[in-house]
Amino acid sequence: MSARILVVDDEEDLELLVRQRFRRRIRKGEFEFVFAHNGKEALAQLEEYSDIRLVLSDINMPVMDGLTLLSQLKSDNSDVCAVIVSAYGDMANIRTAMNRGAFDFVTKPIDFNDLQLTIDKTLRHIEMLQEALASRDRLTALKQELVVASQVQTAVLPAALPVTEQFDVHASMTPAREIGGDFYDFFSVDDDHMGLVIADVSDKGIPAALFTMVSRALLKAAARNHASPAHCLHEVNELVSQENDACMFVTLFYAVLDLRDGRLVYSNGGHNPPRLVRAGEVQEVPATGDIALGVALDHDFHDAELPLHIGDTLFLYTDGITEACNAAEEEYGEQRLDDLLHELCDVGAADTVEAVVNAVEEFAGGVAQFDDMTCMALRLNSTRSG
Amino acid sequence: MANHTPLSVPSEEHDKAVILCPAGRVDGTNVAILQGAVRERLDAGQTTVVFDLVDLNYISSAGLRVFLMAARDLQRHGGKALFCGLSEQIMQVFEITGFDKILSVHGTRDEALGAI
Repeated sequence: MSARILVVDDEEDLELLVRQRFRRRIRKGEFEFVFAHNGKEALAQLEEYSDIRLVLSDINMPVMDGLTLLSQLKSDNSDVCAVIVSAYGDMANIRTAMNRGAFDFVTKPIDFNDLQLTIDKTLRHIEMLQEALASRDRLTALKQELVVASQVQTAVLPAALPVTEQFDVHASMTPAREIGGDFYDFFSVDDDHMGLVIADVSDKGIPAALFTMVSRALLKAAARNHASPAHCLHEVNELVSQENDACMFVTLFYAVLDLRDGRLVYSNGGHNPPRLVRAGEVQEVPATGDIALGVALDHDFHDAELPLHIGDTLFLYTDGITEACNAAEEEYGEQRLDDLLHELCDVGAADTVEAVVNAVEEFAGGVAQFDDMTCMALRLNSTRSG
Repeated sequence: MANHTPLSVPSEEHDKAVILCPAGRVDGTNVAILQGAVRERLDAGQTTVVFDLVDLNYISSAGLRVFLMAARDLQRHGGKALFCGLSEQIMQVFEITGFDKILSVHGTRDEALGAI
């Protein structure tokens, strides 16, 4: 099925570039592009082609800018998804765009591989949204919206986690009955560094899901600007703490793994301490003395360093795992988790995650949980230095 | 899953403050009860509130959010929220999230009242 995509940018060259880079997908009839050079032209194109579902838009443009276009889309074309294409470090505008309902963003100069991945992810999301909307009946309208919101939440998680010779990483999220605000992410910071995130947003429902998307996007953008996890957390914290009247906050652990030597640098914004499983021993990853994000401005976050050895597993989780309750209202608890991890010291990331999820589900015995259950494991198999 | 987990918020008057003692569990299903109790005091013009947490068994992040909102609300009205009587488990939640650095946390109720 062909997807018609509207590209809005005042750079004239972009049209040629897009047609060139995506020529195979265009030839196969998967993508059809239309172009506009400002927000006003974009609205005219949307009028002309009623089947446009995806808009890639620049922010700074003459006549009508991208942020104004987003507001217009929200009110008149609510079934259109927007992806923002904006300059490196344009954090304030990216945040505003996410708040106005942008689905994702890519940064300039455009990495066309990344853009292609983002387009595919967004189109999958639109497809899900349309299916959900089509099957919605009036009586279950509200319930369906919650389902859609939770699909949005799932759609922002990385679709496939990488397996390489150097490390393997695996994650799982089991959403609670209500939409929660857990998320995890794993991305390449540069050729030598991988970023690793686990987070839990306070509260539930659609506001929490939106806060989740904003936090995730801001962190991903900050990760490209700062090598230090503490600096990234500081930047995100400053942005989400401003005008945060709802007092929403996110506990977030962010680590950067150096693929050359296995060195892990991390900063922990009020999240449960992850576990290091090393040679049969399970230990807590020491705290960095920091606070949840969104709670207070001007907090100086701290970095800590943890050299990973070959064969080490780093296990990250949210409190939905340890606070999962059974019918007798007992919690799964940290002790059970640590005992289990102790037994899992020789297995890969996928098996570790599967074993923990199975153990917690078995413990809960089918009792519906209040909180999302999310965990992620990373195992270091080798470093580039040996 | 029950609609609400049990939570009551008994209160005591003191010459310098009102003392709220949430008892039971505070989580996403019942934060409105705690929020209501705080709002009632604010509307009555009370600006200093001590939260004595000796009878609190469990608090989720949604519960912490209500404490944060209460502290901000009271501060905006020139008042203050103080917290005391934290069990080891509740203290651990405060420490992990860093709320012990943000909120005014004290050991006993007398210590909290002395800090007003």
